[in-house]
Amino acid sequence: MLETVAQAVINGLLIGGIYALVSIGVTLIFGVVKVVNFAQGEFVMIGMYISFFLANQFGIDPLVSLAVSIPVLFVVGVLIQHFLIRRVLGPNDMPQIFLTFALSLLLLNLALMLFTANYRTVHTSYSDEAFHIGGLYIPEAKLIAFVVAMALSGALWVFLHTTDLGKAMRAAAQNRDVATLMGINPNRVFCVALGIALALAGAAGSLLMPFYSAYPFVGQVFVLMAFVAVVLGTLGNVIGALIASLMMGVAESLGIQFVGADSGLIVVFAMLLLTLAFKPTGLGGGRAR
Amino acid sequence: MKTDRKASHALSKRQGRREFLIKTGGILAASAFGAVPLRGWAADPVNIGALYPTTGSMAQIGVGCVAAAKLAVEMINDAGGIKSLGGAKLNLIISDVQSDTTVTRTETDRLITSNKLSAIHGCYASALTLIASEVAERAKVPLITGSSSDQLNKGRTYTFTPFARASQFAQAQLRMSRLVSEKPKVAVIFENTAFGTSTSNGLREQAAAEGVEIVLFEPYSAGFTDASPLINKVKSSGANALFSVSYLNDLILIVRTVKQVGLNVAINGGSGGFVIPDFYKNVGKLAEGLQGVAHWNHDVSDDAQKVNAEYKKRTGEFLFEYAGGLVAQTFMLADAIERAASADSQKVREALSTLDVSKGFAAMAPGGKVKFGPDGKNIYGHPVGVQWQNGDLASVYPSEDARTPLMKT
Repeated sequence: MLETVAQAVINGLLIGGIYALVSIGVTLIFGVVKVVNFAQGEFVMIGMYISFFLANQFGIDPLVSLAVSIPVLFVVGVLIQHFLIRRVLGPNDMPQIFLTFALSLLLLNLALMLFTANYRTVHTSYSDEAFHIGGLYIPEAKLIAFVVAMALSGALWVFLHTTDLGKAMRAAAQNRDVATLMGINPNRVFCVALGIALALAGAAGSLLMPFYSAYPFVGQVFVLMAFVAVVLGTLGNVIGALIASLMMGVAESLGIQFVGADSGLIVVFAMLLLTLAFKPTGLGGGRAR
Repeated sequence: MKTDRKASHALSKRQGRREFLIKTGGILAASAFGAVPLRGWAADPVNIGALYPTTGSMAQIGVGCVAAAKLAVEMINDAGGIKSLGGAKLNLIISDVQSDTTVTRTETDRLITSNKLSAIHGCYASALTLIASEVAERAKVPLITGSSSDQLNKGRTYTFTPFARASQFAQAQLRMSRLVSEKPKVAVIFENTAFGTSTSNGLREQAAAEGVEIVLFEPYSAGFTDASPLINKVKSSGANALFSVSYLNDLILIVRTVKQVGLNVAINGGSGGFVIPDFYKNVGKLAEGLQGVAHWNHDVSDDAQKVNAEYKKRTGEFLFEYAGGLVAQTFMLADAIERAASADSQKVREALSTLDVSKGFAAMAPGGKVKFGPDGKNIYGHPVGVQWQNGDLASVYPSEDARTPLMKT
């Protein structure tokens, strides 16, 4: 029994690491630019296809292709902010929602057209292997993904707290007007925020590739979890999103084990509902950190 | 759809009259010079309609079907065509049903009304075949199909199904589990959709009669991110066999996770996406030893092996379940037309209903015999149990169809 619970917790934490990369991106964009990016999942998908094609054409390991997917999606993020999102920033939220939602549909259908709906997998030497400790097992590919995800989250935290640009970003998140008065250029900060958020999504895609199939709709699977995590961990709060993602992974895993394999998400949504009822600002408190 | 048509209409209006004349004139001239001399020396060709989804979500398998259909017609024509009709050639008229039920209805209708068809084959997916068969019944054109839905044998007189029915697949799967263990303890995991639920219920209903104990019966939400918790449950259930009623993506995750856990269970992946070359391409070596069921396999007979070799040469992949069955179906049609000595669809139907073959390409089926009962079902029809061995799909069950013994994993 104890072993079953421990295994379920391990499984939950590992997949929670991937949810974290996606949700940190969403929360960062919301915190800094005040835009909800519905297309975040599609950038995970793009990250996956980048890794898939590099592995398929040149035999490059998905972990090595992080070095491609992260910068490529960073640039894409900067371009999207500069040419698209910048134009719809204003007092009205609707154009922003339509823009990112349209972007999601566009990317999804483009992928369907270019890559077809087929599932693509990459097989690495560590894809099917696992470490066994006592009666427990830890899949290698997922452990690697988890460790890299945590490292990237840590790096982001250091960036936000120690560099001028990071501090400017947090300042802009806390109060855009005051930040502008203090001489912070919001456009530049927004571009970097989008870039980092999309780079994280791309990283999530590359990290997923050794153990998950790429297909055009793959982003939708992860973005749903990301949105729940973002709300649960307080909108705009990076640490909150990280912790909420890990919690959700564990809740889902325990739910599948003890409630039923078709109701793992029920536990996750029950958690969301209770949080909203008793602590409407989310677990991270009211402040963006 | 509608707007598309409007747009193209507007476009054609804008085209100049001269351009229109040049184009249509060209086509008319080409058809006049092309078609007339053909008639001069050969008997009228016999038209066979082929309805397959070559675009849309089912396109991948549909395209393979069309390649097999062309190969079969070529084989028959190269061997001298239909002798009782003066060596008439079979003429395959292919139509794309776009993986869509509405399109299937209109395309079947269009195909029948705009051509004089002797018979039709199609559509691979049961949902589409059911529609095409309704239209063909009304038009009194015989339709032969490998689709497995039992619905196709109800209240129909022009529909023929030479291969195993859906209801037979569950039984075969349960019996295969007895090859693995004297006392099979089966875990059934299935996606909570209509397909998953109906297939798994079929397994549950027949389990007791087959002496199989089901120790876990677990629905899951399709498209999960992680199979580990589910496999954790299978592990706790103490099962020695695992039936997974899943689509490709989930099945890949399940197979990988079973390996990671180090769980010793015989996996049976059923049919459909599991028995196509793409499955092995995606899963790789892990697919070795995995079992499934199919209505056709390329090693059922020497003739089937021959067709397989030719198909492999053309497409680079082995002849998969549905495409292989389709080649046999084409030969069944040729046999019927030969005996009917007529291209008339009603006479072809009569001849099909008295078909009785036990050798040659038309008899390429598990069991090696085809004879239709009054419901259009092959009275000898049964599924074949298959296993992935060395990157190839080998028949292992029942003993009369087995080409190699079951590899214990």
